[in-house]
Amino acid sequence: MKDIVIRTVCRVIVPFVQVYGLYVIFHGHLSPGGGFAGGAILGSSMVLFALSFHLEAGAQKLGHETSSYLESGGGIWYILIGLLGLALGSNFLTNRAAGLGFGLPGQLFSGGMIFLLSLGIGVKVASTMFTLFYNLSEEEGSGGDHQ
Amino acid sequence: MSLHLPVISIALLLLASFVMPLLRRGARAAALPFTLSVLGAVFTVSLYLIYLVESRGAFSYHVGGWPPPWGVELYIDHLAVYMMMVLSSICLVVMVYGARDLYHEIRAEVMSWYYTLYLLLLASMIGIALTNDLFTLFVFLEISTISACGIISIKKDRECIEASFKYLILSVLGSGCVLLGVAMIYMITGYLNYDFVAQELPQAIAEYPYNILMALSLFIVGFSVKSALFPLHIWLPDAHSSAPSPSSAVLSGLVIKIYAAAILRLLFRVFPAELFEVVPVLDILLFLSVLAVMAGSIFAMVQEDIKRMLAYSSIAQIGFVFMGIGLFGNRALLGGLVHIFNHALMKSMLFLAAGLIIYAAGIRNIRDLRGIGVRMPLTMGAFAIGAFSMVGIPGTNGFISKWHLALGALDLGRPFFVAIILLSSLLNGIYYLPIVINAFFGVKIEPRSEHRDVPGMMLVPVLILAAGVIFFGFYPGPILALLEQAIVL
Repeated sequence: MKDIVIRTVCRVIVPFVQVYGLYVIFHGHLSPGGGFAGGAILGSSMVLFALSFHLEAGAQKLGHETSSYLESGGGIWYILIGLLGLALGSNFLTNRAAGLGFGLPGQLFSGGMIFLLSLGIGVKVASTMFTLFYNLSEEEGSGGDHQ
Repeated sequence: MSLHLPVISIALLLLASFVMPLLRRGARAAALPFTLSVLGAVFTVSLYLIYLVESRGAFSYHVGGWPPPWGVELYIDHLAVYMMMVLSSICLVVMVYGARDLYHEIRAEVMSWYYTLYLLLLASMIGIALTNDLFTLFVFLEISTISACGIISIKKDRECIEASFKYLILSVLGSGCVLLGVAMIYMITGYLNYDFVAQELPQAIAEYPYNILMALSLFIVGFSVKSALFPLHIWLPDAHSSAPSPSSAVLSGLVIKIYAAAILRLLFRVFPAELFEVVPVLDILLFLSVLAVMAGSIFAMVQEDIKRMLAYSSIAQIGFVFMGIGLFGNRALLGGLVHIFNHALMKSMLFLAAGLIIYAAGIRNIRDLRGIGVRMPLTMGAFAIGAFSMVGIPGTNGFISKWHLALGALDLGRPFFVAIILLSSLLNGIYYLPIVINAFFGVKIEPRSEHRDVPGMMLVPVLILAAGVIFFGFYPGPILALLEQAIVL
């Protein structure tokens, strides 16, 4: 189905949704939300895109393989950041006590490693949502137009 | 540095499980050596942690550097390192077996996902053993639930999907109960850390008796579903018999036990002892365990499928662990806890031996096993050792745990349970021994299918486990010494 209204609206909305998702991820330590909520928003923007165009168009933007790499990468990123605390001579996931830089309270870069962790979670949640969507729609047996 | 080892081993397992899906095409061959080396490293760490805890006593670890009421705490005591040793050793041996066996049970494309799920399962079980925090317990509980369902349903046939769906629904119901219980405890005390909750609960009993009772019963129901205590066992036979053999070995040998260990910790470290004088929780667990021991054996007798019979026998054996908890005496608890290790050894060995028979001869039905001992002497020999251990013949490790359980029951002046243990041993004999006797002395039936040779890489783990059954039957000393320090009631 090629519905011009849906496609145009989607094209307009998707960038805003993604920016909002990134905003929620990066402000996890300042405002409600965080890695999971932001990642879900990011993931749903990609699901929206794949739904309103078709699966292949979605796959061109973010392939199945890339998405599963991102999924693993998010988890690995989180653990590596956690091990950073160990490398700095403190406990696993230690933040301030390990001597990470803290800016002024209330500013974006004021949480030490927290926003890096949120980023990892966000990437993982977004790609997991997209991978799940893919797996479900492939199980249906429809490779092409998904309406 | 050595104090970081517990958290490093969990992080290493998680890291390895995330790396697995990244290994594509050429790198896929590296997945197995990598998994085995990670499992080996974790096993070595667990042995070192036993030494560490023996020499300098229990210690706690504050994740993120935050002290307890705020941060997540890992508490590494004798029970925790014991569980960690049991989990990592069995997982390592089973994986060596699985390396060959899995290729004929699941598709090659999903092999790396199997490693992912397997490592996640081990990481979450070690997490459950080490955590000192209710919410962390719940998180690891969920991870273990999902990954345990994953290693069943990865074999894509009708039975497996149905069994794992049933398991998922019931197990998530159990997790839901546990979560509600955690919420109740948090509502009353305002803490999630075991030690702080334990400090607050005695005062809170007077004010909020019903909430605490509710939380206790929710925990008991939740963990009983997950560890398949008798009336809540219905998911187990399907799940454990249809899964690939390495999964069955791990699920029956380890996964149901870790929940028993978790409820043990909650009952004895978190809930105040006065509570058990008011509410007969331990007696309820005790009688459920008696029912489990009897009913599991009786159900096992009428099974025709060998893996299904082993699964029903697990229901009976988990009853012994809960009997140790319910009797509430040092000796009996020792018997129950040592049965965690002993049963893990023998049941995973029996499942692997059954898997070998299915692999080599394609036989699942018990009646067709007649004469198989001549064709597969080593496998059936190992199976026979496992069967003797299940019955509790002296010289095998099954005897050690039943002996301590029986002595514990006598210490407490409850000879009824000694009779139950004896009766269940006889029942075990009724369904295990005919298989062994028929296999070696029965009339040979012509093989239905082409007989495949047993690969050495699959046979060796079975023999190692069989040797373990005999070894810990004669030298249970080190394990018992470790556990005696673990149970300071």
